[in-house]
Amino acid sequence: MASEIGENATARRSLVLRDAVSLGAIFLITGLLFVCTLFLFRSFSAHRAELARRWSDRGRRALADNKPKEAIADLHAALLYAPGSRDYEQLLAQALGQAGRTEESYNYFLGLHETAPGDGDINLALARLAAARGNRSEAVQYYRAAIYGTWSAGDGVERRAAVRSELARYLIAQQDPESARMELLIAGGNSPDTYERDMNFGHLFEAAQDPKNAAIYYHKAIALRPDSAEALENAGRLAYSAADYASARKLLERASQLRSREDSSQAAGDADAAHNAGRLLELTPAPSLPARERVSRILALRSIAKKRLDACTQQAGQQLAASDIAARWSGPDANPSAVALIREPARQEALLELVFDTERKLDSVCGPASGDDALVLRLAPTIKETTATHD
Amino acid sequence: MTESRNSTPAAASAAMDPHAASVREERLLLLLSIFVGVISGLLVVSFRMAIEWLTVLLQGSVPGPHQPRLLIVPVLAGIVIAVLVRFVFPAARGSGVNQTKAALYIHNGYISSRTVLGKFLLSAFAIGSGFSLGPEDPSLQIGAGVASLISRRFGISRARLRLFAPIGAAAGLAAAFNAPISAILFVIEEVIGNWSAAVLGSVVLSAVSAVVVARWFWGAEPMFRIPVVNLVDPRELMAYAVLGIIGGIASLVFTKALGWLRPLLRRQGPNWQLLHPPAAGFLVGCIGYFGLPQIMGAGYETIDQAMHGQFALKLLLLLALFKILATTLSFSSGTPGGMFAPTLFIGAMFGASVGAFEHLYFPHLTGPIGSYALVGMGVLFAAFLRAPLTSVFMVLEVSGNYSIIVPVILSNTIAYLLSRALQPVPIFEIFTHQDGLYLPSMEERREESNLHLEDALQPVAVPVLQGSDTLASAAGAYAQYAENPGSAVLVQCTDGLWYAARRAEIDSILTGSPSPPSEASVAGEQLPARDPVASDANPTLEQRLGTERTPVLFPDLPLASALPHFRRWPLLPVTNRAVRGALEGTVSLEDVLKRYQQR
Repeated sequence: MASEIGENATARRSLVLRDAVSLGAIFLITGLLFVCTLFLFRSFSAHRAELARRWSDRGRRALADNKPKEAIADLHAALLYAPGSRDYEQLLAQALGQAGRTEESYNYFLGLHETAPGDGDINLALARLAAARGNRSEAVQYYRAAIYGTWSAGDGVERRAAVRSELARYLIAQQDPESARMELLIAGGNSPDTYERDMNFGHLFEAAQDPKNAAIYYHKAIALRPDSAEALENAGRLAYSAADYASARKLLERASQLRSREDSSQAAGDADAAHNAGRLLELTPAPSLPARERVSRILALRSIAKKRLDACTQQAGQQLAASDIAARWSGPDANPSAVALIREPARQEALLELVFDTERKLDSVCGPASGDDALVLRLAPTIKETTATHD
Repeated sequence: MTESRNSTPAAASAAMDPHAASVREERLLLLLSIFVGVISGLLVVSFRMAIEWLTVLLQGSVPGPHQPRLLIVPVLAGIVIAVLVRFVFPAARGSGVNQTKAALYIHNGYISSRTVLGKFLLSAFAIGSGFSLGPEDPSLQIGAGVASLISRRFGISRARLRLFAPIGAAAGLAAAFNAPISAILFVIEEVIGNWSAAVLGSVVLSAVSAVVVARWFWGAEPMFRIPVVNLVDPRELMAYAVLGIIGGIASLVFTKALGWLRPLLRRQGPNWQLLHPPAAGFLVGCIGYFGLPQIMGAGYETIDQAMHGQFALKLLLLLALFKILATTLSFSSGTPGGMFAPTLFIGAMFGASVGAFEHLYFPHLTGPIGSYALVGMGVLFAAFLRAPLTSVFMVLEVSGNYSIIVPVILSNTIAYLLSRALQPVPIFEIFTHQDGLYLPSMEERREESNLHLEDALQPVAVPVLQGSDTLASAAGAYAQYAENPGSAVLVQCTDGLWYAARRAEIDSILTGSPSPPSEASVAGEQLPARDPVASDANPTLEQRLGTERTPVLFPDLPLASALPHFRRWPLLPVTNRAVRGALEGTVSLEDVLKRYQQR
């Protein structure tokens, strides 16, 4: 019995020793195998990275040369050797989009978006693709995510403002000027003044039907570059539209002078516009004018309208005879004296109304007005708003 | 004497007392599982590196159609593989799953080092040169081989030695898939066949160790990345159901093709068999050369591209069909390599086809193609490999995306059921039969229904007496059963329990004569001791029966659980679980045996 116990203990000791040695050996073998695998893996990874770089460079070049199909193949190859590389995936998605494979590109970007939902570039790309797919709500959602997202490359502030401008452009194209204006107002306040940026905002505000803000940006551009004929012309055009003929003439004359050095046709256009602005200044019967001056302008307008009426009567007398215009011109309000008009301001307005109605009627009967007649027509809707601008 | 007896670990272990030896083995099993996992992980990482290196070397960095090497390389590789399989590594052919099962059930867990080496080299060479095979099943066998190699050094008992093969298999598969849960489930579903507590802990340890190693090298990113799936429109589930049906049919085609070609080629003579791998290589190369190089090799990159919607519907269908062809050729030729990757490839292509079709014809349904491709992978895995549970978890693990769970379960279930209905014998079982082996079918084992007591339950047809009756009144009641032919009598005792007595025993109690010895008393068991109260003037029947009672049995207990009790009792009352003592029926030994014979 005792010998059996002793034998058992010896066997156990021997087994423990063996197990310890065997485990130690396995441990060493595992370590050795690990080192070998690591060494091989490093070499393998370096080789793959090199292959990936080579293919991605080719892809980048193809993309820059506007050969998206080649770029797709090259970038696929690059991704074979660097799977999950965000840069390559982004380039590939971009190439797919450029090749017109919108759906694939969208899916690719969606995959990227899942891993980095706050990435500005990816959100912007998704916004553009959603816009291309005609999904307005998604496009706006991704544009906003891009604006509030992170931008690893470039100046974040500048990129965000640029994205906001792009969003505004998209909203304008979507016939939503109100939302576009809001975006432009924020973007305008968030980026530093440069001539190009101011001109861009001027154009965008104009497209968003906000001439007032557009004019502000054109004037900012003029301040930064006073010899910019384009800025002067745009600002002048807006002033003209806003019936600010004095400013319009000034700006358009300067634009015309600058243009005359380079482009004569544009210069002539600007000169014409400046002349029109000047002529409008001379014709505008603003209520703030002294009574004598106002009456004299009203009478000048009357004579312009009468002249056209006489000419048109020869062309389409029957048509005009059928209308009430002919009757009104033979009435007492059509031929008042200057003294009568000064004495009775109500008759001034009646005569002006007759003049404008006549021009409108003649426009439809005898064709579009030109020269002073066109200017008279232009005065028609703005007559009451010119008081301030004339002074 | 002791020295010589203990010269090997096995002999030393045998010299120890059994309990100590068992404890040692249990501890070793757990400890070695970690080593098995780490080493398997390292080997699988090297295996994958070897495949990728060879792919670049042999097929070029970007294989494309009309590259002559696509024709030449597989043929030359086929010649080398055929010669090596024939003369150097004969056990390396096949996928590796059945070989691991054979190691477990036939060879006591033994897988030779030569097989492991052959599997590693030849599978890497075959896949790298463009054969349409996958690296997962060979990884599984490499892991099992590593486990076998390590465990043999420790003199572990045969029973435990056998368990090491699945432990290593789980490690190999987990490292190959970067998916520990799927690997564990697959080994349990396909290799072991049941949730054995003895091996589960070790399987988990080895799989986790292997995955940790694999992730250390390759990173923890899931294999495939797809967008989150939002089932906006429940009708989209219809598309997934259709995918399940397509998967079931595709798996039938794939199984039939393999089941027909493989034995056809294996019947040919050994010299003819030398031509099979180069011929298969040539045909696969032709498919690649003439326009579909994507079907060559494992094809994971192509799966990824399909998931990102980069193929048109027609191309997806072509890829799926030609992959079935290429894999059938590659595998049937006896070239070492696995079936998992091709299965996933085919499934992904069919899945993406359904997605592309949906986008084309039902644009209002917005499920991403990637999710269909991913579900398709699981569908074919469930239908072709017949591992439904693994297929669900595999999809979740390789995508790291839980949002897809509902479509996966739906499609996989449909595909699995359809496949079972159309092709009752699973593919791995077909292969084992073709190889002349008869390994246990895991699917059958899972489906095996255990019989319960309720299956043999009979209505009460024997006299029933009340234990609380005096002997006189019991005798009166008993007399009413004079015509009853039963050999037993049931006595309901006041404690709610039952006593099943032989008729002779009751007769002797009621008549006061000594009862004849029962089988139990002959065998040395004591009959119930007579209660001292029995000598009272009016003793009850219960008092005379003593304190022993028949065991409490319920209808849902396994039928086999009744067998040991028939040695003592002639009949067993089966009672209701809810109402103590309420009789549901009885079972006799005869009833039980009859029920087993009816299976």
